[in-house]
Amino acid sequence: MESTVSVSKGVFLFPNGYKKGKSNKKKNNQVLFEKIFRNELWYDTYKQNWYYIENELQELHHKTHSVLLNDIVNYIKNHGISESSTLEGIIPSATLLTGVNQPDHVSQFTSLIDLIRNEVTPHVALVNSQDAPSVKHLVENAVWQLIHGDQVMDYDDDEGVITQTKKLRKSQCTMKALRNWYNTKCMSSPRKKKSQQTRRTLVIIIPDFESFNCNVLQDFVMIVSSYVSTMPIVFVFGVATSVSALHKSFPYHVSSKLLIKVFHSHASPIYMNQVLEDIFLTHTSPFHLSGKAFELLTDVFLFYDFSVTGLIQSIKYCMMEHYYGDNTKSLCCDRDKLEDVIMQLTAEDLESIRQLMSFRPFLEKQDCKTTISLFNDDDFFKEALYKEMNRLHDYLYSFYMCLRLLCVFVKDLPKNMLGKSVREIYTKCASENVTGTSAFKDCLQLLKFQSQVKLVESIKSALKIVNTYLQNASPVKPLRSTSSKNNLKNITLSDDLGENFVKSLRVHLLTFLRQIEHANTETTVTMCAVSDTENADENFSGNRYKLKEKLLKATRLDRVQSEFEMVRSRFVSYLEEMFSKGLQPMQGQPFHELLAFSDVASVRKNIVGAPRAAVHTALSNPVQYLQCSCCQLPSTDSVIDTLPDVCLAYKLHRECGKHINLYDWLQAFAAVLRPDDDDEQRHNDPTIQLRFTRAVAELQFLGFIKSSKRKTDHVMRLTW
Amino acid sequence: MASGGFRLRFGENHSVIEDRNETESPSRRTTRIRSKPKKYGDFLDNSPVKRRNYKDMSSSEEDSEINDEAALPKPTALFTEDDVEGQDMFKFKSRHTKQDLQNKVKTAIYSPKPVDSPMKTPKKLQSLIKVSQETPKQVKEIMRKRICNEVDSDSADSDFSGSSSDFIPEGSDHDETDSSSAEAVSSSEEEVEQPKKVVGKAVKGRDNKAKVKDAEYYVTPDNYFIMHSSKKIATSDHTLARLKNLNIDENNVDDIQISAEHKEIIKDLNHSYTQLFNKWLYVLSENFNIILYGVGSKRSVLQHFQKQKLKDFPCIVVNGFFPSLTIKSILETIVIDLLENTNVPSNVGDVVNLIDTQLKENGVNLFLIIHNIDGTMLRNAKAQSILASISQIRNVHTIATIDHINAPLLWDHTKLSKFKFTWWDVTTFVPYSEETSYENSLMSHRSGALQLSSLKSVYQSLTTNAKGIFKIIIEYQLENQKQNYQGLPFKDLYSKCREQFLVSSDLALRAQLTEFLDHKLVKMKRTYDGSENLVIPIDITLLQQFLDQQTS
Repeated sequence: MESTVSVSKGVFLFPNGYKKGKSNKKKNNQVLFEKIFRNELWYDTYKQNWYYIENELQELHHKTHSVLLNDIVNYIKNHGISESSTLEGIIPSATLLTGVNQPDHVSQFTSLIDLIRNEVTPHVALVNSQDAPSVKHLVENAVWQLIHGDQVMDYDDDEGVITQTKKLRKSQCTMKALRNWYNTKCMSSPRKKKSQQTRRTLVIIIPDFESFNCNVLQDFVMIVSSYVSTMPIVFVFGVATSVSALHKSFPYHVSSKLLIKVFHSHASPIYMNQVLEDIFLTHTSPFHLSGKAFELLTDVFLFYDFSVTGLIQSIKYCMMEHYYGDNTKSLCCDRDKLEDVIMQLTAEDLESIRQLMSFRPFLEKQDCKTTISLFNDDDFFKEALYKEMNRLHDYLYSFYMCLRLLCVFVKDLPKNMLGKSVREIYTKCASENVTGTSAFKDCLQLLKFQSQVKLVESIKSALKIVNTYLQNASPVKPLRSTSSKNNLKNITLSDDLGENFVKSLRVHLLTFLRQIEHANTETTVTMCAVSDTENADENFSGNRYKLKEKLLKATRLDRVQSEFEMVRSRFVSYLEEMFSKGLQPMQGQPFHELLAFSDVASVRKNIVGAPRAAVHTALSNPVQYLQCSCCQLPSTDSVIDTLPDVCLAYKLHRECGKHINLYDWLQAFAAVLRPDDDDEQRHNDPTIQLRFTRAVAELQFLGFIKSSKRKTDHVMRLTW
Repeated sequence: MASGGFRLRFGENHSVIEDRNETESPSRRTTRIRSKPKKYGDFLDNSPVKRRNYKDMSSSEEDSEINDEAALPKPTALFTEDDVEGQDMFKFKSRHTKQDLQNKVKTAIYSPKPVDSPMKTPKKLQSLIKVSQETPKQVKEIMRKRICNEVDSDSADSDFSGSSSDFIPEGSDHDETDSSSAEAVSSSEEEVEQPKKVVGKAVKGRDNKAKVKDAEYYVTPDNYFIMHSSKKIATSDHTLARLKNLNIDENNVDDIQISAEHKEIIKDLNHSYTQLFNKWLYVLSENFNIILYGVGSKRSVLQHFQKQKLKDFPCIVVNGFFPSLTIKSILETIVIDLLENTNVPSNVGDVVNLIDTQLKENGVNLFLIIHNIDGTMLRNAKAQSILASISQIRNVHTIATIDHINAPLLWDHTKLSKFKFTWWDVTTFVPYSEETSYENSLMSHRSGALQLSSLKSVYQSLTTNAKGIFKIIIEYQLENQKQNYQGLPFKDLYSKCREQFLVSSDLALRAQLTEFLDHKLVKMKRTYDGSENLVIPIDITLLQQFLDQQTS
């Protein structure tokens, strides 16, 4: 297929049967694409779950941004109408400090536009910096959107074609046209019932303030300010850095035309925490990330892009990877659907479930007879699987709750040994048995020193969490009657988790709360009191030695614990017991692979590409890719003649300084390949030269060298 | 994110530096500032990758740093043991001397087979060394002195003297005053001897040597600038002219350069990538885009993908390496050729909107295959942002390849988030025959194959008389090779031509000459005395070759 090689063209079209007129292709739209995966169990499950998560995300998004957006909308409402008349030529402008995670801003601004359209005015224009390289473009874009804004909303895409005819052309969109349009539409409109309705504000949104050309914006502001007396225009600036950016790029005569009000949006780590805690780190999430995978994704967020959208995309990618091509993964679904899914599994699927690593420890716990029937009897295995999956869900339910409880108790402790947020604690709990770590023990130790007030506070918030969990708890379906028929009772299930666990926890917490609240903090130190009076007169002597003595003696005295202290230590030991039960790491659970994604290595490569590293390995140690017998190198620095030519040239070039003499390089290259020839022969060998030329050209293409004019037949190295 | 693979490594190192500063007590710091040029080796030992290896040894140090680490969180899952260490790729290599290359060659030649007698250094290697020492010694001396003085006056720090020899070519016959460079020479001598002992050991020894050398190599800012301020290029003065047959005919495609085993393996390797095709389709259908990286041409892999999986979809193939590619031509292909509009809107946003709505209306998925999205003509912010906006469209699916090592620098945060790339390591080891066919390669350019062939073709179209005239000029130029060749005076040429009955008049000769001048085969130079001299602006060796070919 060398049809894509040409000396005159760089772009080639393969319509592959596509013709514009054929709109009957419409029905093929997505179906064509999905036909490979359609009817696959895993694909359906993936789709459903992803839709579920997407919806959740949308909801959360609205919830978190609603306060801020409402503030802005109110500002626009108030300023659009009232103040334009009082202040001549001054444009009210809301400045939204968005933060540097620019990819996230798009969604923020789209929801802002929606809100403004719904509540204030249909006339909103959003102009990106890339669409406005000059004032002309900026004005045209803004005006066009303002004039046609309501149509976009009123008519949907289907009718868009009809209205197209009466739309203004872009080149006709000037401020004058806008004013004329505004006057005809709003001022002289026949039904002039309320000024409120007709005199609608015009909103212009500049989402990425910093990427605009300063002069363009300055001119634009000046132009708009001369029209603001006739039309109520409001600006919304999205500023990524700080307000000073606004003042820096606008000189006084421009900024004096603006009435700036600053709004702060959430910092993205906070939003990220919220997204993770509310959507992914819950038992309702259909898909779970193992500690390592989770760590990777948060690392990418914190150290690379700071973008929640990016994080969500990475999670989506993990999810795709999790489900891809594996029907057993369809078990990773809603609890209610488990039964149906298990029924649909084929014998092959069951076999691959039996191959899971976590199945083995589970087997070892069972007696001989059940083990055999687990292997031979598919129906029996399905029963067991169903039971185990339910147990796994129970486990997750109590796990996530314990996680939150732990967070409540631990987050205010000094040193933050386990972290402050749920996600930090999750990474620790999911990867190892947290109750065994020294950090956890230290935390409990610190808890033993906490004051009564603080402890009561924590327990109260813990109770709040427990209560919400009890409300959300999905009722556990009773096992089907058939289970009693089989000897399923023989399967020893580990201690009960899930709702019962939480209920008992609630009772415990309540009693402890009552006890602690009423506990007496006074230590009954009668003994000391006596001795105190005895030594009272000696205290006045000011003898430091005596004081020391006294203090030493005091330490030796048996402190009788107060009631509070006793209750507290009992409470802490209860916590330890409870957490060690509820916070067992996910790896220990049978069939956890079905629900939790843990294949970090493969995903890491695809999410965080390492092109430079790949090139380096391929060139310095090609065996890694080729797996050939001839190129085994004792170290990555060494050279042998069997290496591919590029690798050989690359290795030799790494021995050179900034400038490389082509001739010397060639000689070295030839010497490695033909060690027995002498200079004369090498000079004459065209094949060596040809190979070298190729290799050099490829290295140049890869960007390691470039030609240099400073000396004849020299090239420059572009790397260190 | 992409470049992340290595970018962050640096970030990490920085944080390590901060760490260090924090751990130093203020009182110590004041004393420390004096000895600022910090050893590069220090950074090495402290960078997290290395530290992992040394954990046992420096556990006490670890403890003291725990507090700082808590204050400065580090990525934990981003880097794993099997990563390529950033130092391998980015560290300042220890100083490069001319011997490096030869030593490398020597070890390469010797390591497979032990050499018995230490005295028998093969001749050609000696000649290699000899040859490399031809850089005029005085120049070296002057440079060396100047720099040494500069360095000494700069600071009395002894660190400098070690590295000052960095850019100075050292011949082994040069008498060494500097102790550290003497060390270097002795070490290189050692290396020469080492391979003569035992095979395995020799290689290992070299390895250790390299490590030691690296550790003692300091990079200080001052040093860096001194290193790069020197105008003199410290390499030998050889040119490719020393080679006998320069005119390489690049066109004869050959497979001799790949051994049979490699050929087989490369074929298998490339075949193994076909297993990814279904997954790619899956990833694309979920609105991610795909980027392929790794050494070797990835065109054939993509072509297979297109053939196998994208038969029913409109595809656009872009050759990013094509030297006169424009972003406009890409847009035109989509908007005019595919979507059958009459013109492309001038505004980028409009184009993207247009493509978006029309693709949606028609319910079409467009596949955009970009070979080398890092190609020369696409290496600008504008082109990339347009591509990013197009790739963002739901119905457009982009599959791109990159080859340049710095390609990830093309994309900022915003573009990356629009592209939504998933990264795939597709190392093929297939030669970049198409990709490099457009650029005039360094070697063939130098070797003048192009010049020679164009010279030939012009020459062949000449009349016999004109050929004769041209030959006279060539011969004269070859006979009078000197430093500044002034050219053949017009009147001498005229008389010579008359002798051979090539022209009959001054005017006829001038008419012939205009032909040459038009083709830039000959340049006319005016001297001070007003006479016109004719020069052929082509390398003498090339001319000789040309002449040989013509006469033979």
